[in-house]
Amino acid sequence: MSKTASAPHRFNKSGLSLEKAIKFFFASNAGLTIVILVLIIVFLLKEGLGFFPGYRRELEIYRIAGLEFVDLSRQNLTTHEQLASVLNRAYYAEINGKCARELKRSREAAALFNAFSDQTTATRDLILNNLTAGIDPDSEMLATLRKNHAANVQKALAKLPPTPHLTLTERTALIDSLRSRDVTAKDDPPLVATLTEQYAAAQQVQAKPLAGLRATIDAFEATGSDLSTLVSEMTTAVTATKESLQNADILEKDRKTLLAAAARAKDPAERARLMADAQASLAEQADIDGPMQSLMLRKPTCIEAHNALRQTSSEILTQLPTALSQPEAERLLRAARKAAPVFLTTLGQAPGQISQWRHDTRVPLSAAIRSFLTGKDWVTGGEWQDFYGILPLLVGSLMISMVALCLAIPAGVGAAIYINQFASGHEQSLVKPVIEFIQAIPSVVLGFIGILVFGSVLRDLSQLDSLAWVPGFPIEERLNIFTAGCLLALMSIPTIFSLAEDALNNVPSAYSEASDALGASRIQTSFRVVIPAAFSGILAAVLLGLGRVIGETMVVLLVAGNRIKIPDFSSGIGAFLQPSHTLTGIIAQELGEVPLGSVHYRALFVVGILLFTIVLGINATAHKFVSRTQH
Amino acid sequence: MHDPETLIRKGLPKGHFKDLAVRLMLGITTYCIVIIAALLFFKIIKDGVPVLFTAKAPFVDLGFLLDKNETLHVFDDAQGLRHQLPASQYSDYIKSHGEAPIYNEQTFSYSGGGIIGPIVGTALLTIGSMVLALFFGVSAAIYLSEYAKQSPFIHAVRIAILNLAGIPSIVFGLFGFSVFVLAVPVITSTPSDRSLLTLPLFIGDAVLSFQGWNSSLIAGCATLACMILPVIITASEESLRAVPQGFRDASLAMGATRWQTIRTCVLPFSMPGILTSSLLAITRVAGETAPIMFTAAVAAKDDLPWQALANPFDLLSSQVQALPYHIYTLAARIPASEYTQRAQYGSVFVFLILVATLSFGSMLLRAKLRAKLKW
Repeated sequence: MSKTASAPHRFNKSGLSLEKAIKFFFASNAGLTIVILVLIIVFLLKEGLGFFPGYRRELEIYRIAGLEFVDLSRQNLTTHEQLASVLNRAYYAEINGKCARELKRSREAAALFNAFSDQTTATRDLILNNLTAGIDPDSEMLATLRKNHAANVQKALAKLPPTPHLTLTERTALIDSLRSRDVTAKDDPPLVATLTEQYAAAQQVQAKPLAGLRATIDAFEATGSDLSTLVSEMTTAVTATKESLQNADILEKDRKTLLAAAARAKDPAERARLMADAQASLAEQADIDGPMQSLMLRKPTCIEAHNALRQTSSEILTQLPTALSQPEAERLLRAARKAAPVFLTTLGQAPGQISQWRHDTRVPLSAAIRSFLTGKDWVTGGEWQDFYGILPLLVGSLMISMVALCLAIPAGVGAAIYINQFASGHEQSLVKPVIEFIQAIPSVVLGFIGILVFGSVLRDLSQLDSLAWVPGFPIEERLNIFTAGCLLALMSIPTIFSLAEDALNNVPSAYSEASDALGASRIQTSFRVVIPAAFSGILAAVLLGLGRVIGETMVVLLVAGNRIKIPDFSSGIGAFLQPSHTLTGIIAQELGEVPLGSVHYRALFVVGILLFTIVLGINATAHKFVSRTQH
Repeated sequence: MHDPETLIRKGLPKGHFKDLAVRLMLGITTYCIVIIAALLFFKIIKDGVPVLFTAKAPFVDLGFLLDKNETLHVFDDAQGLRHQLPASQYSDYIKSHGEAPIYNEQTFSYSGGGIIGPIVGTALLTIGSMVLALFFGVSAAIYLSEYAKQSPFIHAVRIAILNLAGIPSIVFGLFGFSVFVLAVPVITSTPSDRSLLTLPLFIGDAVLSFQGWNSSLIAGCATLACMILPVIITASEESLRAVPQGFRDASLAMGATRWQTIRTCVLPFSMPGILTSSLLAITRVAGETAPIMFTAAVAAKDDLPWQALANPFDLLSSQVQALPYHIYTLAARIPASEYTQRAQYGSVFVFLILVATLSFGSMLLRAKLRAKLKW
């Protein structure tokens, strides 16, 4: 019985038939998705995995050539310079804070004058050029030019920037002087010059009580000179060694290529020629022992310089004042005072590190991996040493996503709740298409808006006196983490909104009916019954929005400011107003410029792998939440 | 007096103000989004309309739409008159005016002429990728909805679709670059050095060389098609499943084969749905920049894609300009000034009109479809 059931029906021909072929065709198309996914993973890994051995070799050269040794001292030197610069900034912040009025007045007058000059230079130069070319001063052409210039001056005077800190009489006087300004005049208008002088005078007055601080800072800056000379001497020496090592590597690689080609060559004569070439290009063993010995001889000098620096710095830094009057200066001074003991401790550890350092310690592969995952520098194309540390990019991506989600979650989820629970049919049919349409805006257009409109608006806003209490204001860069975050929020609102609305919609109506029947008010039903029931769906919506935000490229490439540096967290929330770079942005920016197969090229693929993993992880979690909400 | 609340209670119900406050807050949030979106469109339209539309008869600045993209030269002649000329007219001017000196010359890359190159490039990329994605996507959807039974294979396909849909577009850019630009096979007689593998074909000296298609139209289309594939599959499957099971049963009962059933009783009814949702996919394909940055797009190109070709197939292997990439170039690589605004806002406006038309069209079609197809 079972035998007949399992045998094919007699009408059913065995072997190939058209129907089976068609079915197979469709199945293979469905399988294409798997093929693409596998190809993506395989090729990302193929290009990316070569990164770690390559990077390990670079780090090895870094060590063998002695660059690492120099960097031990150089790091301390850099910290020293940073500390000095923070102190300098504090000093100038104190002075400028005290003569803020003069500074603003002088700046505003100068800005007004600059705006005027920008507008009128073109026509003015035209007259001057013609005059120097020896044109007849009474000619008709010159008259035309002068007329054009006069018209241009009128146009420029009509749109001058505001000057809230100048009195009306001053402004009128300045504008009058601009109006009557001769074409050949080169000096600044009198008011601008006076205000600049006033500002300089005020600066001098304010600097007097701070002379002690100035002397301390100068003395501190001077202490670094010994170490600085030493480092620059060593730098020249080790760079030469590094170059010879790299050349040897390249020759060795060429030789291997030649040998491989020789092995493939069919013609014996050609094979012999290739072999000969390969022999000829056999790399000379780069001389590393000689330079290394002379470098090692500097160890005692180096240690001595460090000890001296530590000694003098600790004496000088105790002379810093305890407080300054201006808030910005006070903040910087506090940062410097906090950094000083750390600086001194690292200086204290330096001699030990220097004497223990050996150029022949092996560089394991794990060092390359660790340097990639925890490195704080992403430095490429430099003359000194390339570093591929992911942290600045990761921090940038995460901070931008944080800003975006902080704005998009309340807005997206709030709008979803409103539309689903409270809105009338008319409102729904108005709001839903608008939000859907936001989703259709290409990201590059949003980036464009950010770069040309939003950034400038934000900067102008941050320069208002009434908003000066906001941390981080006035902003230094108009393209920063916050700008990018705002635009990404706008991008992810539609995703979050529509998925959250779906989740709310999927809650069975019996839930809310039951709640109504028990006498709950509308708001109780919404917030105690419907939303908790849809909670995991809303969470999934937020996660999918996060996945979209992290993976977004064009907006952050255009708007995030593209500075590869971990933001300075000492300024608190102001850190969000600094420019940054991102995982996606770095790939888009650098992939077009790197040589194929180089370590840098492979590093970008590793960033791609990381991005891929993060986003897939987020999406998988989200889908887990979705599958949990089967009512 | 239909509201039971008012029948039972006198005065305001308990918690009325709280209710009102919560509603108000949520409503304000919602309308904030709407207002921000409106402001955004208003800004683009305000700056874009003067570029594209003119007061005179045909009312549209056809030059901006139909001219090639060129470098803009801005200079003063000896009379102090300011000229803004694209490169070709500039050289004519220099020729015709001979010795007359010019002053204050400035040049702005990509800002002169029109944007026909990027428009055509985007159109080609979109058509190419949609053809590929629709062919493979609809086929895959037919398998999933018509043939598939629960099996490990189907499970794997669904997981792959889900994952593909979430991959960031820049990763697709990396994928397209490493696969379509550098690794897919081509038939050639002179394999390049970086070829991964060469297989002899025994026809003349032609070999199958895995060296990629270089940065080209076809590589860009393939990358975009891979990116949009999950969207097409999901939408098509939904449309196919919306066709009532009765149609299939009836057809099969009449003795039609499975393929005949699909061809005559399922596909025709689901085609409107598939096409509508693919309109939405088009907006996404047309708007993506990251995947084509390394696979197809080029910032400046003198000829239109079909000009200066040795044979028609070179069209596929040449780089193209693309509107989103053009906007990226205009926004990121050249400084904003009054002379570049025309190119910048004009391009964005044209692009937005394009996208808006597509997505608005898909919305209308979908509404119409829902009203029409009710079974």
